[in-house]
Amino acid sequence: MRDIAFRQQVLTTLLLLAITFGLWMATESLLATPAKWLAHGLLTLWFPGVINTTIFEPGALLVVSNFTEINGVIRLALPDEEGLAFRLNTRLVSYGLPFYAALLWGSRIKNPFNTFALGLFVLWVAMALGLAAMTAKDLMLVVGQPFLATPWVPPPPVIVVSYQFSVLLMPTLAPVLLWVFQLRGSPLWKHLESQLEGHQNKG
Amino acid sequence: MFKFLLIFVTCLMVLFTIELLNPVQAAVIQPFTAFLAWVAASVVLPFDDTVISSGRILRDSVSGFAVSIEAGCNGVEASIVLIAGVLAFPATWLQRFAAIVLGFIAIQLLNILRIVSLFYLGQWNFDIFEWTHLYLWPVLIMLDVLLVFALYLRWLSRSDPSPQHA
Repeated sequence: MRDIAFRQQVLTTLLLLAITFGLWMATESLLATPAKWLAHGLLTLWFPGVINTTIFEPGALLVVSNFTEINGVIRLALPDEEGLAFRLNTRLVSYGLPFYAALLWGSRIKNPFNTFALGLFVLWVAMALGLAAMTAKDLMLVVGQPFLATPWVPPPPVIVVSYQFSVLLMPTLAPVLLWVFQLRGSPLWKHLESQLEGHQNKG
Repeated sequence: MFKFLLIFVTCLMVLFTIELLNPVQAAVIQPFTAFLAWVAASVVLPFDDTVISSGRILRDSVSGFAVSIEAGCNGVEASIVLIAGVLAFPATWLQRFAAIVLGFIAIQLLNILRIVSLFYLGQWNFDIFEWTHLYLWPVLIMLDVLLVFALYLRWLSRSDPSPQHA
């Protein structure tokens, strides 16, 4: 990594952030759709008795459960009763997309379009996992024991850590890790690798 | 590189889980967050004497607008990412210690700027406050972590240490 290459990367990333965030704001509903599909599949497969359906909304995923609340008591809904629904803000997990785009397009890598497409797919999977963690957190807090007693539901501490990790770290950490992984072969990567190997050899 | 990733992810998960433990929150994270609010108020006070801090809350005594600094807004998670990266990279323990201390300060300096900017943005336009708070500032803070780590790598490459493996 020549210093110039690194400075270029930082400056280009900052400049691109303005553009990619603008594009993301304009197209978030479209960009998040694959993650919503994946989240729908994941939730309905993982908690078939808990999740009724999901509804895609602009900037949100509405998760409709099979539970209902009558006079303060939460129980499974009858066929003619409406289930409790949770509106998830998908932007909370999708804002890593413009960050990733700015990092990647600010780098000199081979086959940037293929790399970006592959990266998008990975991030959609991470976003779907984040949406599943958000759903589990909402169900744990609102439905409580009836949800926690369902088979395959993880214990509360796991739900808490998964939720916090998905919301606080994953949206910004996943793009960075993905970008570093995809840097392989670029001048920046070669320098990072030589630094790492140089230090390991000294040790 | 695989070893680096393995140590990085392990350190990240361990530190993140420790941070979420109730005793750690009560003894370390919440007092530190309150300290951040106090520092942010101290930075602003010479220019704006209407700002007061109370615990984790920063308040404007005239407009009544207040922001509460919560988990994710105190820079601790970003610091954990940096610490995990520094621990995973081969270097001497002294170099690691210096990188963690200086990196933590660098992250917190930007975080103070974030808190102050959000405090005023919130009084100006709540939609912009929410957008920058939820989406823009977390990215800028992570970019800061990346920058600090890259500067650390450059510093390591220019020094002549006898590194220890993690």
